[in-house]
Amino acid sequence: MPNEREITLLKEFAPQIEHTTFIQAIWMFFLAAIVALGFYALYVQIAYGHIVTGMRDNVVWGIYIVNFIFFMGVSYAGALISGTLHLFRAEWRKPINRIAEFITIIALLIGPCYILLCIGRLDRLYYLVIFGRIQSPITWDVIAISTDIFGCLIFLYLALLRDIAAIRDFQAIRIPKWKRKLYTWLALGYTGTTEQRERLHKATDIMAAMVIAIAVIVYSVLAWIFSVTLQPGWHSTIFGPYFVIAAVFSGCGVMIVVMWLFRKLYHLEKYITRKHFVNVGVLMLILAALFGYFTFSDYLTKWYGSERNDELLINLLFDEYYWLFILSNYVGVLLPMVVVGIKKLRTINNITISAVIVILALWVNRYLIVVPTLESPYLPIQDSRPDWLFYNSTWVEWALTAAGVAFFALAFTIGSKFIPIINVSEMADSSELEEEEILI
Amino acid sequence: MLNQHISRPMNKFTLAALFWLISVPMIISPALSAQEETETEKVEPLDTYLSFLATYTSNDTVVLTANLYIRNGRVRVDLQNAPISFTLSGNDEQMKAGEAFTDSTGKAQVMIPTSSLPRNKEGMVTYMADFTGTDNYVSSSETFMSKPARLEVSFYEEDSVKFIRVTGFQFSSDGEAEPISDETILLFVPSLFRPMPIGEVWLEQDGSGSMEFPLTLVGDSLGNLTVIAQIDEHDSFGYVKGEATCGWAIPKHLQSQDKPTRQLWTPVAPIWMMITLIILLAGVWGHYIYAVVELVKIKKSAKKEAVQEKD
Repeated sequence: MPNEREITLLKEFAPQIEHTTFIQAIWMFFLAAIVALGFYALYVQIAYGHIVTGMRDNVVWGIYIVNFIFFMGVSYAGALISGTLHLFRAEWRKPINRIAEFITIIALLIGPCYILLCIGRLDRLYYLVIFGRIQSPITWDVIAISTDIFGCLIFLYLALLRDIAAIRDFQAIRIPKWKRKLYTWLALGYTGTTEQRERLHKATDIMAAMVIAIAVIVYSVLAWIFSVTLQPGWHSTIFGPYFVIAAVFSGCGVMIVVMWLFRKLYHLEKYITRKHFVNVGVLMLILAALFGYFTFSDYLTKWYGSERNDELLINLLFDEYYWLFILSNYVGVLLPMVVVGIKKLRTINNITISAVIVILALWVNRYLIVVPTLESPYLPIQDSRPDWLFYNSTWVEWALTAAGVAFFALAFTIGSKFIPIINVSEMADSSELEEEEILI
Repeated sequence: MLNQHISRPMNKFTLAALFWLISVPMIISPALSAQEETETEKVEPLDTYLSFLATYTSNDTVVLTANLYIRNGRVRVDLQNAPISFTLSGNDEQMKAGEAFTDSTGKAQVMIPTSSLPRNKEGMVTYMADFTGTDNYVSSSETFMSKPARLEVSFYEEDSVKFIRVTGFQFSSDGEAEPISDETILLFVPSLFRPMPIGEVWLEQDGSGSMEFPLTLVGDSLGNLTVIAQIDEHDSFGYVKGEATCGWAIPKHLQSQDKPTRQLWTPVAPIWMMITLIILLAGVWGHYIYAVVELVKIKKSAKKEAVQEKD
C-alpha cells in the first residue's frame, strides 16, 4: 500500500492521469496532425521514391541523418543524466529524473526511424541481419542501438515500477478497468517488502551504471561511422568524445525545455524550481565549454594541417554556411555560458531561452558535420548534374522532421497521462526536511 | 520566495548580452570584406627580381635558367606565366636565344647547343635575360658573361680498384677545346631531394682527375648509378655539369613491404574485433539478464507473499 506521502503526492498528480483538459486535448490533436502530415510525406516518399527528397548521389545523407544523430544524442543525454544523478544519489534529481528517463526512451524510439527513412530499399532491410558483417560500422551501430533500446527499456521499467505499484494500490484514483489491470500486470506484484526493495535497488543501480556506459559506447559507435570514413571533416580521432559531449549538451537543452513546458502545463512550480533549472543549466555551461573546446580543437588541427580538402571544407563553412556556423559554434556555445555564468541573468526564462538556442545550434552543428562534407568529397562524381552536387532539403524531409519532433512531444504528453511526470515514490522517500532541501 | 525568480522577463542585461553575441560576427564580417575591397583597389606596379644562370652540360648544350619573383616583405613570391626573353652576344652582334614563360615556380628555361654560341676574343659569351614588365609589374633584366666549358665523366678499373675520372674542357673563341687545369670538381649522385656529394676531384694539367669509386653507394635494381661532376659559380665558366652512368653500385633489392591487410574487406572479421565485441556484448547483456532475473524474483516473492497471506 502507498504510504501517506505517496498518497498525498498521488492525490496531487491523479488529475493528470484521470482527466485530459480541453487545452491538453487540443495540444495532442495538434501534435497528432503534424504526425499525420509526416505519414503523408512518408507515403509520398514510398510512392515516388527518394527523388522527392534532397538526397542525391553526391550528398547521400541529409536532414534525416541529422535528425537521427540529434535524437540519439538527446536519448543518450537523458540516460547519462538520469543514470549519473541516480548513482550519485543527488537529492535534487528526484523531481526531474522521470523527465530524463522519458527523454531517453522516447528519443531512442524516434531516432532509428530516421535511418529507415534514408534507406531506399526497405524491403531488403533484413539483408542487414543475413549478410551483415561485424567489420561494418553500420553493423556495430545496429547492434549498439538495439542493445541500448533494451537497456533503456529495462532501466525505465525499473524506475517506473514503484510508481506503477503505487498507482495500482491507490484506490482513490478514477481510471478505467483496463488501465488498472495494466498497472496490476506491470507492477509484478510489487508491494515494497524489504526483499523487493533491495532487489529493485540493486537492479536499478546496475542498470544506471550500464546505461551510462552504453550511452557513451553507443554514441561513440555512431561517431565512428563518420570518423572511420575517409571524408574531409569526418576522419577525426576526437569524433567519439566530441559526439558524446555534443549529445549530452543538446540533451541538457532538451531537458530544460521539457522541464519548462511541463512545469507550465501541469503547474509543477512547487516541484520543479529555479534550483533545478540552474543545476541543469550549470551542467549545460560546463558542456558548452567542453563542446567549444572540442570544436575548436577539431577545426584548428584541420585548418593548420592545410590538407587541400579540409581547407575546401573550412572555406565552405566560413563562406556558404557562415551564419549557420556562427550560430552552431559561436552563439550556441557562448550564450549558455553567459546566461548561466552571470548570476543576474540566471533566471528560469533566460536559461530556457538559451536551452532553445542550444538545441537549434546543436541540430545545425550536426547538419554542418553531415552536409558540407558530402558537398566537398575527395573524389567527386564525374559529370554529375550541377544540381546534384549540393543538398537542398525538400518539404517531405521537413514534414518528417516536424513529425518526429511532434511525436516526441506527443509521446511525452501521453506518457505523463500514464505515469506521474514527477517520481512520486522517490519523492515520498524523502523526509519533509529533505524535501525542503530538494525543492529549495 | 522561490517563485520570485521563476518568470522574470528578459532584463536589459540579457538583451545586451544577446545583442553582443549576435552583432559581433555581423560587424566583423562586412568589415573584413570591406578591408579586402579597399586593398585590391590600390594596386601599384611592383618591383620584380630576376635571377639568371647558364649551365653547360656534357651533351654540348647550355641551359639558360631565369627565375622571376617579387618580394612581399621578406617573402619571395614567384611569378607565373611571365614571358622571359633570352639574348646572347659575343663581340658586337646580338643573337636571340629564345623566349619562355615562367612556370608555377617562376622558372623559365631554354636550351641551346654550345656550337652556336657567339663568343668574344677571349671566348666569353654574354648572356641576357629580360622581363619587359606589365601594368602591375616593373621590368627587370640580368646579364652575365661566361666561357663555354664541358665536363666529362668516365669510369675505369685499375688493379681491381674502381675509379671515376673527370675531364674538363674549355672552349676558345674559335671553338677549340683546351683542358681545364688546377680546378676542384665536386662529385654527386642523385638522391631524393638534392644531389648527394660523394667527393672532390682535382684536375691536373692535362685537364683530368680521378677518385676512387665509393663501393657503398646504392644504385638501381641492376646496380646502375649516375655520377654528376659539377663546377658551381666559377669566375670564368659559371656552372658546368657533366654526368655518366656506371653499373658498379650496389643493386637495390626492392623488397615488397608487408602491406597492412585490410581485414575489414575479408569475409571473416579480425579476431580482436570478435573478442572485443563478444566481451562487450556479454558484459552488457549479462547485466541486463541480472536485472531481469531480479524482476522475476520480485514477482516470485510477491506470489509467495500472496500465498502466505491467503493461508
